[in-house]
Amino acid sequence: MASDGKAEDSVKIQILKDALYDEMRQHGSESRAFSQKDILDLNIIPNGNLELLLQVVQRLCDDKLLVGIANHHAGMAWRWRSKEEAKKYTTLPNDETVMVYSIIDEAGADGIWNRTIKNKLNMHEAVVKNCIKFLESKGYIASMKNVEHPNKKMYIKATLRPSERATGGPWFTEGELDTAFITELEGIVFEYIKTKSAYRGSQPHPGGAAGAGTTKVPKRGAVTAGETTARGTKRSATEISNDDTTTSSPSAAQTKGTSGGGTATSKSRTVFLPMPAGYKHYPTVAEIAKFIHDTGITNNTTLGEADIQQLVDVLTYDGLVEMVRVGRRRGYRVARAVKQDTVPFHKRQKEREAGNGLDLPLVQGAEPLSNGLTEAPCGRCPVFQLCEEGGPVSPSNCVYFLQWLELEDLPKAVAPNVAVQP
Amino acid sequence: MLVTKPIAELCALLIDELHGELPSRIFAMLLSKGRSTVPQLSQYTSMTPRQVRHGLAVLQQHNLLFYHVDPGAELAFYEANPDHAYNLVRTGKILEMIDTTFGAPAKDVMQSLLLSGQTRISDLVAAYQEKIEQANKSAPGVGDDGDFGAEPNGADGDSQSTKSGGPLVKSTAHLNTILCRLVEAELIDVVHAKSFESSEDILKTVEKEVMAKYFPGGVKGNKAKAEFQERIAEGLRKVRGESKSLKRKLEQNGTAAKRRRLLSGISAVNGVHDEDMDPALDPRQVIRINYEKCLVDLRNRRLVQYASDMIGETTAYVYGVLLKLLTKDLPRCRSDPVMDAEGDNEESEKGPGSVTTEQILDNLKTSVDLSLGIGKAERRHISSTAAEKIESFPPKKKRFIEETEVDGEASADEDEGDDESSEESDYDSDYKAPATNGTNGVNGTNGTRVKFEEAAAPKERRMDRPSMLRQHLLILAESTQRFVRHCGSNEWTVDFIPVMDSLREAELDSVIERTCGRQGLRLVRILRAKGKLDEKALPNVALMRKPELQQKMLEMQTAGFVSVQEVPRDLKADVKKSFFLWFCDVDRSYNRLLDTSYRTMVHCVQVLEALRQKERDVLETTKRTDVRGREKDTMRKSYYERYSRFLDCERKLFAQVMRVDDLVSVLRDF
Ligand code: SF4
Repeated sequence: MASDGKAEDSVKIQILKDALYDEMRQHGSESRAFSQKDILDLNIIPNGNLELLLQVVQRLCDDKLLVGIANHHAGMAWRWRSKEEAKKYTTLPNDETVMVYSIIDEAGADGIWNRTIKNKLNMHEAVVKNCIKFLESKGYIASMKNVEHPNKKMYIKATLRPSERATGGPWFTEGELDTAFITELEGIVFEYIKTKSAYRGSQPHPGGAAGAGTTKVPKRGAVTAGETTARGTKRSATEISNDDTTTSSPSAAQTKGTSGGGTATSKSRTVFLPMPAGYKHYPTVAEIAKFIHDTGITNNTTLGEADIQQLVDVLTYDGLVEMVRVGRRRGYRVARAVKQDTVPFHKRQKEREAGNGLDLPLVQGAEPLSNGLTEAPCGRCPVFQLCEEGGPVSPSNCVYFLQWLELEDLPKAVAPNVAVQP
Repeated sequence: MLVTKPIAELCALLIDELHGELPSRIFAMLLSKGRSTVPQLSQYTSMTPRQVRHGLAVLQQHNLLFYHVDPGAELAFYEANPDHAYNLVRTGKILEMIDTTFGAPAKDVMQSLLLSGQTRISDLVAAYQEKIEQANKSAPGVGDDGDFGAEPNGADGDSQSTKSGGPLVKSTAHLNTILCRLVEAELIDVVHAKSFESSEDILKTVEKEVMAKYFPGGVKGNKAKAEFQERIAEGLRKVRGESKSLKRKLEQNGTAAKRRRLLSGISAVNGVHDEDMDPALDPRQVIRINYEKCLVDLRNRRLVQYASDMIGETTAYVYGVLLKLLTKDLPRCRSDPVMDAEGDNEESEKGPGSVTTEQILDNLKTSVDLSLGIGKAERRHISSTAAEKIESFPPKKKRFIEETEVDGEASADEDEGDDESSEESDYDSDYKAPATNGTNGVNGTNGTRVKFEEAAAPKERRMDRPSMLRQHLLILAESTQRFVRHCGSNEWTVDFIPVMDSLREAELDSVIERTCGRQGLRLVRILRAKGKLDEKALPNVALMRKPELQQKMLEMQTAGFVSVQEVPRDLKADVKKSFFLWFCDVDRSYNRLLDTSYRTMVHCVQVLEALRQKERDVLETTKRTDVRGREKDTMRKSYYERYSRFLDCERKLFAQVMRVDDLVSVLRDF
């Protein structure tokens, strides 16, 4: 009788077990945690019989079909596990391996460091090593790299893909920041913003002098108010416009004179012009992301808006683009539109490959502004801190200045200011 | 101004350059020893009291000294005036500015003033009288006024070219007019008894007076203290006001119409104005150049340059006109913390006032084509509500750094909240029919807007001039640098503090970018925006590889652009576990930049000195009276080449010094 009851019980439990497992799979993914109440509410266990429930759940756990998890607030809870996975567990040779595998399993997509495994399980290193070896050979787990800890040996379940946190997101390729990819993408995004946020128009070509004053780096003396220097250039400016102005520099005054007065000979050139205030179509991050997606440049990585935002932020920090709010729209526009190159960057690169324009700097965007300090040799002098009259290096024996004043030719490498000048 | 070693050195060099070695040595001594008497000075410098007095006289003449006589004391104390000494660097710039604003004759007068220091009007008149007579006698073309060349060392060789057409100042009446105009513009002011006292001395005297007069029993209680401060500020303002006495007198005499003409400066350059209309200035008054006001004008120029770099030349030109109108009555770039403290409540709210669109329009040169410099966009692509947004109040203090734009946005949203509904409808109407736009509350009040609408209707759009002007102004207002604030429906103003902060930052950025590259700039700006940042968090934001980033940071730390702070994780302070927080202290960077600038200027002058030593023999020759002025004909060819090459270098070096001063002005004075 008793044995009958037992057999009957075991059959009943077997049925209940299958029913419960199927029902749980219906009610959520592998990651859902079912509390005791959740399971009771599935109405599989008759009369909310707790003892029965315990038995059934225990059996499922033994079969590795349920995983118990301790939850601080809600008490015990369970997740179901797929049959294939469960089978893996049951085929493992010994308890150690099961423990190692389960701890790797728990770590999920972030992976786990082999030292952590050892410490958590309090096992001998050799044992852990053996287990890992076995699991790897079976193809159950794989080693992985984590960008945050590039030197740690990490393991992950072979069926999972490493999480973003571990791989570092789309900017990383095999744990290394893919700078080439980033630079290229930055270039594309910048060109896109540039062409979308500025107007390609033409403007009368300013006189030669003005061009030198504004676009090229005024190497020395060009933009100054030198009592003696000023005279030569300035007369013409004041002759053209001899009523008052508060123009910035003689060269600027001259430009105004020529462009405004239409002093004949001026040719026009293509330039980017700023958009009128209130322009509503400065590209937003969403638009940029869509553009990047549509071009299909990033075929094997998916870039979300957040990623593009990161890229655009970098461009902002570089001073290449700036954020503008028009109404409630947050768009981006190129900074210093007028100073931008109207030839797209990739064309410039091609030109360069063809051997043209090698003297031009190959950087995105407009040339940085300069001031008195960056132009003078001292501003970049390697021995600036030591330089003093009477010291070992002094202005009176300064070679950099001699070169700057073109009083002496130096091999270019020695001069500190070569880098300053394009 | 805190006088550091490089500044002291620079001042001494400048004085040496312009006024000779004797005054320079005395000045340097005064800077290093502090206030001293004649006997003390002669002891320090081992010069005879006579020599010392002579040197002091020169310095005094050029306003490079303060002196103070305690009541009843026998000897006066002398003290260096480093601010004015530094201003010597700006001589060329100021002259050039006067030239473009007031014309060549005014520049000539200013130059005379700069060279002779403070001058009694009668002396100035006499000097010019003589010059004019001489020029009239010796027929056209001779007017060699070597005395008035800026550089005493022969660099004025080519100064004659400008003087070919006879004397620039045609008569003493003409001179008088020029002076009147300069006085009205506050570029020249009057020397008075207190001009030679240092600000501390003046403060002390005023304090004493106020004490004696109003608080014989001492200052007690908060209320009395406040009143005491106020009285002092008032007293100080009175002293400051004294130097404007000439201007006030002129204003009383002159009719408003004439004044307007003078200030807008339309006619005078051509010399076709009624000189009789200007009242004769009191010949006994002693006048000098007012650097404070000159700085205001120089700042305007710098800002125009900035706008031109950031936006475009035409817009910058408009900006220049606006600035000029706005700062007409602005006496100085930065208000004095004590003197202007009281006015802080009312005045700073108002700021420098505002300018209307019409005023700007009236002052634009007719030759300037306003259609240049702005892109075109279809009408429906423009949100006029956003563009025309009016900000009646200056931005809050904390908002001036770029990064805080984030909270700036929030408040901008709130502002919009008010006219939410109207804006909504505007958005829609933008797409439907542009014509309804004219009824929009904000725009309705201004006539130019309506015209714009009409003009926009036909396919090929020709905007009228006021609309084009408005577009430039709106661009300025929308710029990230906040060049202009649209403070009323047709009014514009400039908040100088935030604009200058942005300019300072731009200057710093360009130095960083030029020395540490774009990635360096990127890192600094990240830190500026985020505050302190853990070393581990940086690569992710900057999208840079760790080793490269670390190297860049170290490079910039050495250059003084960023600093690092170590925060131990626990008591053991294990370095390996510590956090390293990077941050950038912008003020420190500025100070470092300033110091570098001073030293660079010193180096430039020293290089010049060394060159002079090298070319001594050539320069000796040019000093001979039979050579002077005819260098090209009289000197041997090789000598002349060396000479002209030297002049070239001299020019470059001086120009460079002035370029560096541009930076110093931005960082320190504007
Ligand atoms: S060595 Fe020359 S470049 Fe360097 S700090 Fe001295 S003067 Fe300037």
